Order: sequence, then C-alpha cells, then structure tokens
Amino acid sequence: MAEFEELSQRHLEELSDEQLVEYMRRAREAGRHEAMKPAVAVLVYGYWDNLVNRARLKLRNHADAEDVAAEAVASAIVSAFDGKSVGEFRSWLHTILSRRIADWWQAKEQKLEKTRLPSEHQGDEDVWGREPAVDFEGEALFARDCVRRALEEIEDPRHRRVIDLYVLGRNSAAETAALVGDGMTEANVHQISSRFQRRVRGLLEGGDTSD
Amino acid sequence: MTDVERLLTEYKEAHQGGGDADPRPYLARASGVDRELLAGLIDAYLAEAPRRPFSAAAFAESRAAPVAEQVERSLAGAGGMWPALLPRLRDRARLRRSELVAQLAARLGAQGAQQDKVGLYYHQMEQGLLPESGVSDTVLEALGKIVDSTASALRKAGQMPGPGPPRTDEGAVFARATYGEPAADVPAEAEALAERGPEEWDEVDRLFRGGA
Repeated sequence: MAEFEELSQRHLEELSDEQLVEYMRRAREAGRHEAMKPAVAVLVYGYWDNLVNRARLKLRNHADAEDVAAEAVASAIVSAFDGKSVGEFRSWLHTILSRRIADWWQAKEQKLEKTRLPSEHQGDEDVWGREPAVDFEGEALFARDCVRRALEEIEDPRHRRVIDLYVLGRNSAAETAALVGDGMTEANVHQISSRFQRRVRGLLEGGDTSD
Repeated sequence: MTDVERLLTEYKEAHQGGGDADPRPYLARASGVDRELLAGLIDAYLAEAPRRPFSAAAFAESRAAPVAEQVERSLAGAGGMWPALLPRLRDRARLRRSELVAQLAARLGAQGAQQDKVGLYYHQMEQGLLPESGVSDTVLEALGKIVDSTASALRKAGQMPGPGPPRTDEGAVFARATYGEPAADVPAEAEALAERGPEEWDEVDRLFRGGA
C-alpha cells in the first residue's frame, strides 16, 4: 500500500469528488483521521445547498429538508467506504437524497395510518397536526420523473447536450451553440429547449405530445 | 421566452450568485402545470449542478459544518453512522441529551451511579467511540422506543462502514463539546467506572459492552 500523503486545503479543493473520497479512504486506512476532516468539509459544503434546495422542493419545511439532506450526505459518503463501487459520486449522492425523501414520505404515511386524521378529530388540529399536503408531495416527485423520461427519449446526442448545457446547465443559448458546434445555432438551441419543455409539460398533463 | 423559462433563468442566476437560493419563492410565482414543470426543471438543474467551491468562512457559519463533523466522526469512529444518526434522531424527538439519558436509564432499570454510566455510554455512542458489536439489543430496543426508530435499524446504522484502524485521539474526542451541549453532563467517575475490565462489569457495562 502506498504511503499516505496529506494534502493542503488548496490541493484538496482541486480534486474531483471521486479523488476526495479516495483520499479520505486512504487517510482512514492510514489512521490519519484528522487529515480526513478538510476533505469531508469540501465535499459536504460543496453539495449542501443543492441537496437542501432539492429537498425543499419536495418536503414541507426547511427543517425537514435539512434533516433529510444531512442524512443523505452522511449516508452517501459513509457508504462509499463500504468497498462497493458507487460510480459518479454526485449522481450517487442525489440518488440517495431521492431515496431518503421517498422514505420520509413513507414514514409519514405509516405514522398517519396509526393515528386518526385531523378531519376525524374536528376542532383539535393543534394536537393532531395537519393532514399531509398530497399535492405538494406529488409536485416535484412526479415532475422529476417526467423530466427524466423526457431526457431519456432524446435520441440525438447533440440535442441531449443542448439540454444539459442550456436548460439544466449554466450556459447561455449562444454559449451552448458554440460549445455544441457542428452547425448548431442559437435559434436551434431555443427550439430544442422549447420542444423539450413541451414534452415534459405533456407528460405532466398525462398526454402524449411527442412531435 | 415563456414564464417558466424566465423563472428558471432567474433561479439559476440566483443560485450561481451564491447564497441560499431557496427555490420556493420562484415556484410561488407559477401555478398549475407551469409550477410542476418549473419544480422538475429546478430539481434536475440542482442534481446536475457542480460542487460549490469551498469557502472556509462560509463553511464555518453553515449548517454543513456540524454535518461534516458528524460524517468525520462516523468515518473515524467505531460506531458506524451513529455519530451522524443519533443526534438527529434525538433532535427529531425534541430531547436534550440529558433527557434522553434519563429515559434510557429508566427503561434499562439503571439506578444511582448506574444512571451516570448510561449517560457516559450514550455519549460514547453519539461520538462514535463505542463499538456497535458490544451494544446489546436491549439497549437498542429501549433507545429505538425513545427516538422512534427500531433496534434493527439502529444496529444496521452502527455497523457501517467496515471498521478502520483505532483512533489515537479518543480522549480529545470525548472531551469535545457537541451540538451546544458540553460533555460535562457525564461525570468523571462514570468514565473511570467504564474503564474497568469485564470481571468488574455490572449490568449496565454488560448491556453496552457485552454484546447481544
């Protein structure tokens, strides 16, 4: 086994997620637990807001969103040490978050089954709490499935790249056209984006709007 | 540009500008299918967003800091995910550690000095200093009832990940204050009691260190 070499904070910030996890694994195996701390901090801080905000889309309050995000990031990092390959860390992390959100709703439902609902207990809602906001629960969970399905339906890899760079990424239409190249224009980017959003909308409405 | 595209663009700008970037105010400006579409697109955007560059100052003030500390303790300790899980379950149950310890001691039938020892052992569980294999089902069942979990879920959490080499700074970790509650609620005598060998163990020692 290669000797563990502690890296500076600055060097750690330049590592990929997978390299950070590997660094933590080597630090742990070498018994250098203090060396793990900055690497864990870079990884947790780097994704914390994204996880909390994704959870906010699906849960009813900020405290629950933070709670589920904390559980997800801890589970994702610790399970990456199990020796199993988790693939791309970011994707793994967001998958764990989705599972934890689903678990949260399932636990909520089970708890509600054990108790009477507020509507069966008129006038005492402070004791029993409110019934679950089913519409709110479904909002982002179903929408996420529709986005995923619409993405899977894109056959042309250049179109998929447009969606990744422009709709789900941080680039302008002009930047996206330049990055994709091969004759892609800004107008094409807008057309592809509009078509994709129409498809997601059609799936959300329960109809088939493929054009 | 549609309303959804405009709101998505605004959200992405806020997100890239740093700060909280709470998506809910943006959702509140849309309705019906537009709102669902926007939620799905923001969700997919956040799932693809790259890791935020590290800022030591922002990290120190962030809720991410205690979470990172729990993860580090989980990786460095002997109790798997307990350092990350137990404080959260306790928070969810709205219990201070002293209140949880009192309930746990009562459920285990601990009296007098044994109550302090229950406090010590529970503290070690939260800190990742107590190996899961030593903690009995009796303790985990009692704890599960207090924090609305199950013995099997707690057992499984304590087993992850595979054990690493023993840490050399257990004393420092033990003395460290956690979650705003100092370790001072664990008397020094209880610590000394816990250092006794198996031949001197009482029932509480066996429950927390003797295995199932």
